[in-house]
Amino acid sequence: MSRPARISRRTMLRGLGTVMSLPLLDAMIPRPLRAAAAPVADAPRRMAFIYVPNGAYMPAWRPKTEGADYELPPALEPMKEHRDQMLVLGNLACDKARPNGDGAGDHARASSAFLTGAQARKTAGANFQSGTSVDQLAAARLGDRTRLPSLEIGIERYRGVGNCDSGYSCVYEHTLAWRSGTAPLPTETDPKAVFERLFSERANDPGRLQRDRLRSSVLDGVLEDARDLDRQLGGSDRQKLDQYMSSVRDLELRIERSEKLPPVQLPDGTRKPSHEPEDLTDHFKLMCDLMVLAYRTDVTRIVTFMFGREGSEQKYRMVGVSEGHHSISHHQNNPDLQAKIRAINTYHVTQLAYLTGKLKELPEGEGTLLDNCMLAYGSAIADPNAHAHDDLPVLLVGKGGGSIKTGRHVRQRSETPLNNLWLSMLDRFGAPADKLGDSTGKLAGLS
Amino acid sequence: MKQFLLLLTVAACALGLSWHRTTRAGNAGLPDAVSTATAAASTPVEPSFEKNIRPYLSQHCYQCHGGEKPKAELSLEKYKDDAALQQHRKDWDSVVEMLRSGEMPPKERPRPPADETAAVIKAIEAVASRSDCGQVAPSAGRVTIRRLNKTDYNNTIRDLLGIDFKPAADFPSDDVGYGFDNIGDVLTVSPLLLEKYLNAAETILDKAVVSIELPKLTRSDIGGLRVSSGAGERKQPGGTRMIYGKGDIYGMTSFDEGDYIIHASVWAQQSGDEPARAALSVTGPESKSQEFEVRGTVEHPDHIQIRSRMKAGTHLVAVSFLNPNPPPKNDDPAKDGKRDDAKPPVQRRLYARSLQVEGPFDPPPQVLPEAQRKLMTHREGVSPREAAREIVERFATRAFRRPVKPEEVERCLSLFDKAEHDGQRFENCVRAALYRVLVSPHFLFRVELDPPAAKRGAIYAINEYELASRMSYFLWSSMPDDELFALAGKGQLRANLAAQVTRMVKDSKSQAFVQSFADQWLTLRKLEIASPDPKLFPNFDQELRTSMIRESELFFEAIMREDHSILDLIDADFSFFNERLARHYGIDGIRGAEFRRVKLPANRGGILTQASILTLTSQPTRTSPVARGKWVLEQVFNTPPPPPPPDVPPLKNDKQLTGTLRQVMEQHRANAVCASCHARMDPVGFGFENYNAVGAWRDRDAGGFEIDSSGTLPDGKSFRGPAELKLLLKSKKTLFGRCVTEKMLTYALGRGLESYDRCAVDKIITALEKNDYRFSTLLVEVIQSDPFQLRTATGERP
Repeated sequence: MSRPARISRRTMLRGLGTVMSLPLLDAMIPRPLRAAAAPVADAPRRMAFIYVPNGAYMPAWRPKTEGADYELPPALEPMKEHRDQMLVLGNLACDKARPNGDGAGDHARASSAFLTGAQARKTAGANFQSGTSVDQLAAARLGDRTRLPSLEIGIERYRGVGNCDSGYSCVYEHTLAWRSGTAPLPTETDPKAVFERLFSERANDPGRLQRDRLRSSVLDGVLEDARDLDRQLGGSDRQKLDQYMSSVRDLELRIERSEKLPPVQLPDGTRKPSHEPEDLTDHFKLMCDLMVLAYRTDVTRIVTFMFGREGSEQKYRMVGVSEGHHSISHHQNNPDLQAKIRAINTYHVTQLAYLTGKLKELPEGEGTLLDNCMLAYGSAIADPNAHAHDDLPVLLVGKGGGSIKTGRHVRQRSETPLNNLWLSMLDRFGAPADKLGDSTGKLAGLS
Repeated sequence: MKQFLLLLTVAACALGLSWHRTTRAGNAGLPDAVSTATAAASTPVEPSFEKNIRPYLSQHCYQCHGGEKPKAELSLEKYKDDAALQQHRKDWDSVVEMLRSGEMPPKERPRPPADETAAVIKAIEAVASRSDCGQVAPSAGRVTIRRLNKTDYNNTIRDLLGIDFKPAADFPSDDVGYGFDNIGDVLTVSPLLLEKYLNAAETILDKAVVSIELPKLTRSDIGGLRVSSGAGERKQPGGTRMIYGKGDIYGMTSFDEGDYIIHASVWAQQSGDEPARAALSVTGPESKSQEFEVRGTVEHPDHIQIRSRMKAGTHLVAVSFLNPNPPPKNDDPAKDGKRDDAKPPVQRRLYARSLQVEGPFDPPPQVLPEAQRKLMTHREGVSPREAAREIVERFATRAFRRPVKPEEVERCLSLFDKAEHDGQRFENCVRAALYRVLVSPHFLFRVELDPPAAKRGAIYAINEYELASRMSYFLWSSMPDDELFALAGKGQLRANLAAQVTRMVKDSKSQAFVQSFADQWLTLRKLEIASPDPKLFPNFDQELRTSMIRESELFFEAIMREDHSILDLIDADFSFFNERLARHYGIDGIRGAEFRRVKLPANRGGILTQASILTLTSQPTRTSPVARGKWVLEQVFNTPPPPPPPDVPPLKNDKQLTGTLRQVMEQHRANAVCASCHARMDPVGFGFENYNAVGAWRDRDAGGFEIDSSGTLPDGKSFRGPAELKLLLKSKKTLFGRCVTEKMLTYALGRGLESYDRCAVDKIITALEKNDYRFSTLLVEVIQSDPFQLRTATGERP
């Protein structure tokens, strides 16, 4: 593969306002690698956590029977051609999304507990706290093998409007990834920014080395400032400065790593997305393409992807829903509203199918890129009308490097913590852990 | 119609904005809140813990929340009196919330009678909110060090460097707490953000660090001269180029703007009678060329030159050979192997050596923005490092918003030294040092330090530099300007507060206050994502959306700049329209996109009848009286209703609900679960039913029913139509004043209000009452309040 021509920043900016055609990265839609491409001997395993907000209309989601011969329920219909690559998981629960004495706020708790299994502290600001999320646990252990330890992306730009759920800080609703209980990681929703983060503007630019050296000196310097300042601060000020310092160290490590790692090989003709598409489906596709590209170039192996912020009021007019998603999710058993929720669920699963298809098109080793993936897809809310947090809608897509026996519907004992699934995924990812949040053990029946 | 209704029942929780917890007591509702605010004065017998609270607790709560191992680690038994309760407001806030939501006592326990629970809630709130403001506040609070949010960052860079280009546009969104995006506790730093800081600093410095020295007059060779292919040779002794055919000897070099002299040393090998002729030329925006006869020899070359005005950039300099011999004939001697001695023995050839450019003469004066020129200014005749020290010290002082210590400057200069060691140009070395300033925590955070050795809990006045920053970020979302900084330096800022506030409000930078505070308080940013159904509201487009937001901003700005009463926000006789908005309101005679002040007809006036608020409180397909009522409770009175229970029982299918939306709602409100809260929200919302889901006036609803916009508030006062309703709302001066005060103080402090802030809020309200609720009074009082002026030490600073 040849190196892509470098496009100057100015050229890109010029491009921004002009071409308004479909902004999909044509070139980034993966094509089969050339035969000459080196076979991947020991393909790395990848994991992703994809979140859908406001639960699901469960009667259209839950298969009626277990095992391999289950009848594909309507909401999962878009995954039909990938059903042999998919595991439908039943009876997983997210207990920490429940009030447990904290009153209203199921939406804020759901997204913050999804990957952490921790009860969010009820506060609109001061001392917010969740727990370390599974992706960040994996990133802390194995993230040093790639340029980016992990990638956090989403669809809905957070616009900071008013208050969030029932006295919970908004921070709980718009990220899944928590480096620690007090350090949430923001999600990037702009495809252009995601591309820049993955490949940096001047990824293979000879000037990069000089720039990185200057950056290292600057980071060294400001870390010194921060340490000095830290000695004079107290209380919650310290926590903020800790976040700053650990981010500085993170970036320093990243620069070090990028000097050691081989240059990124972008597929021929890859272009940077110019802007965030107006059309929601285009946006979804573009973000999926970027995720595939991140895996394919091995820039990162860990992705969290929010299809929507929890409590989202996104309108899905393309499937006939002009009301806000959350508004109608309290369907009150009204069949019209239930049908609309189902339409949104199906729409989201369609995007998952697109992503799955793209991963499946890429050969890797003896199989495909998808074979080495574990895409967990779901919500920490089941029936949104009741804010139920048990028997959640959860799918696991990809074979995890041959460690997962897909093509089945598997149900657990009721109230099995969702975090048990995360532990099992960590095992397969090569970052085993004994405990995460409210986990009680590993999940049976995946292999 | 039924679906309509079902949507309404859940509308409150469906709103997505839900409620935020207020730390103030007395938020049970409109009438409750009014009575609580005046409770101390009018109620002769005040509730006490012993008499009104303890009996209830002992009967319903102690069994679990008492004894050795209380549930949820919450023991209510340990509280013995009023004072104990007042000291643990947070615990009691959640007790109240549990009781109010009915979550406690738990379902499996006997349920206390509803009126008993209501009474105990009232008593807890009354006791909790009672404390003696005459004494020193128990705490002045402590805002967590705040990193600049996106708005702050953009504006600070603008004022620091004089370049306004919004470098924070692609930073991750700032989190919101307590309704605002400038809350220290929720503004986090992530590796992603830090990377953006690095990118932004590089971009900023690329724009800002420009050489202010005039380009030096130099005379230098153009290296790597080339020869038109097939017309000559490059490899001649001494770097000489030779040309025998039609073509050029040429090179590229860069120019600054100014006059240049191009020098060339040329000679020729003559042939025949005609002397060799050459042209010396330079391309560029104004190409110039001049012909010369070349008579020089290798020993005595001709010196030829031209003078040309150049623009900055890389341009081509060439010596062209104008009269080579005619091309050789076909009988090339090399081909047929014999020589024709009759032919001229020599070929005319042109030689050139050392093309030089000298300049620039008479360069244009440097036209740099003031701020950029200032950035790189330094004393004449000092060493580069001294010059750099001066530049860095001045920059860091402004960037850190306080005087810097010599060692801090020295640290930044270590990057200068490193770059200089690598042989970089002066500007690049300075750039490296400034880079560090822009990524330093002292720039990115608004740092406030406790005095050395301050004891834990000690309350101290923040220093005047810190005060200057608090004021400028409050009113400008930016760094202090020179005047604030100078006053702080002299220790005279506190003495001149009111005058400075007046000056700051007049400054155009206070636009930032409108767009940060007002937009967030009035939730105008929500309008950016509102999406009225295009089929039902085909006229709603981006232009109308923007115009709606603009109207509300201009209106708020007028109230602020003209120092109106804040009560005018609820009802006033003027607003600002452009043609688009006027048409939307059904008003004629306004042309063009420009906004102008308009005297309003009777059915409009104040924020509540502005299309912006009316649209953002509507569903995409219809109005939502519940949402409008809730908005008023939250944003106008700061008495948010509790969130609805998650699983509202569905309506019985056999019960046919008919009539107008109002009738349907009223039938529905018969449901006791919903009634208590909806009785507070719905009447207000229905009062605005004459405005449709995009805020246009209507007499009939979508179903064709005539709109009935009359109603009765929970306090028993009735109204007919929105105009009367607004008057009723406007008459609740203290409640509204308290709401605006609390919101503004939260925004100003960058933290949520705590129980100990209540006295400060009360004091501001008293001042407002005395001064006709003037906007300026509110601003000055917020700035003069204890929580704004003071800070509580952690005792951790050595």
